Amino acid sequence: MEKIAITGIGVVAPSGIGKRQFWANIKAGRSFVKKITRFDASKYPSHIAGQIDELEKYSHISERLLKKIDAFSHMALIASELALQDAGINIKNEDPNLIGIFLGNAIGGWLYAETELRDLYLEGREGVSPYMASAWFPAAPQGQVSIYYGIKGFSKTVVADRASSLEAIGYARKTLSKNKLNMILAGGMEAPVTPYALLCCNTYGGLTTDNEHPETAYRPFDKNKSGFVIGEGAGIMVMEGIIRAKKRNANISAVISGYASNCDGYDRIQPDTNGKELARAIKSALSDAKVNPEDIGYISLDGLALDLWDNSEVKAIKEVFGNKAKDIPVSCPKSMFGNLLGASGALDLIITLLAMEHSLLPPTINLDNPNPNGLNYVAKEAREHKISKALIISRGRGGINAAMVIEKP
Amino acid sequence: METKNRIKNVLVTLLKIKPEELKDGISLQDSIGVDSTEMVETVIALEKEFGTKLSAKEVTKFNTIEQITNTINSKLTNSKLK
Repeated sequence: MEKIAITGIGVVAPSGIGKRQFWANIKAGRSFVKKITRFDASKYPSHIAGQIDELEKYSHISERLLKKIDAFSHMALIASELALQDAGINIKNEDPNLIGIFLGNAIGGWLYAETELRDLYLEGREGVSPYMASAWFPAAPQGQVSIYYGIKGFSKTVVADRASSLEAIGYARKTLSKNKLNMILAGGMEAPVTPYALLCCNTYGGLTTDNEHPETAYRPFDKNKSGFVIGEGAGIMVMEGIIRAKKRNANISAVISGYASNCDGYDRIQPDTNGKELARAIKSALSDAKVNPEDIGYISLDGLALDLWDNSEVKAIKEVFGNKAKDIPVSCPKSMFGNLLGASGALDLIITLLAMEHSLLPPTINLDNPNPNGLNYVAKEAREHKISKALIISRGRGGINAAMVIEKP
Repeated sequence: METKNRIKNVLVTLLKIKPEELKDGISLQDSIGVDSTEMVETVIALEKEFGTKLSAKEVTKFNTIEQITNTINSKLTNSKLK
């Protein structure tokens, strides 16, 4: 199977737009979790988030298009453009039939949807924008990116809760390795900082209510963890076969060497407490990559900051890595900008790529007293460390487990 | 003349385009690339602007501004006669 390379990174996140600004803030360990200012969220149990301000300032999208699309498509369009620029690809020189788009998200475009639903009940049928039907649904960003660039190849949108984007990237790799396409724009986007989406996240019960201390509220793997914080943004990468990437002298961040995904078959929301299926997914990904557990130099954690989730994640790592579990550096950098739900896996992968490039492990902020113990947590500050192989873990409600192995080319 | 300018204003505000993009004698599709969804929105906005019912068959993206002007003017005249 041909190795699949990642050759371009596009990131739109509360910590920064574009990989330079984003990485500068990640390596400094800065928190971008704040009180929500987009609307009055003060009556919600949890009203803090990683929010992106002034998205328009960075946008190349016309006002005529902006009024037809939801924020999550807007973010996907910016991230796609950044990824293509970073990869040095001019889409006009490519065969549009051989480019694909593989994106993941968990909830769709709710800012658009809820505004129009309000108008439906206030003004009736004619109050609803005709763009509603094409703006809110989960595959809308895929459609908008394809229209914007004239991309016409086989494409997919994956909806698998918080594991959506890592699953989309895994699927993209599989498709590329069958030589069906020349390149793929892969990743995910999510825009949950809206009144209705925030309400649903609140009723799910997993959000922290430590509203008075936004910057220290998201505490994965800490003794005083109290739940997660939502964030918005997009992470999209250019993926292509390594032969093509080398031929065009692309800057190869890493190759994806292994991937696996499975289900717990346990509960409609909670994960299996023993982490057995997550462990099996990690083992399958390592076996797919033909990599021994001890060769992994860094693990990017899912880290929902809820006991059930963090405990089972640590159990799975201990089961797979045995005695080595205490040595391999692990961290959960999303503690700095919030959990991007369906886009979280793409952001985790991007951070891991940048960590490899800069030989610097990104920190888990707010990690004062590790619980559960027994892992080599990179806490509070970034740490210098060369990484040649890394593992990314992404999980979703209902027991979805995804694991990806990447390595330096 | 007044009807034509009002139609142009509706299109400029609604579709967020520049006034000079709207060219006389050319269909909306050819001058500003209107798609079918934009046309639905346009018809609703024109109905509100002129206080008259318009069907999607009467005002289409294949029409020029002049044709739409004539359609609306004749509707307005008919309603006055009634």
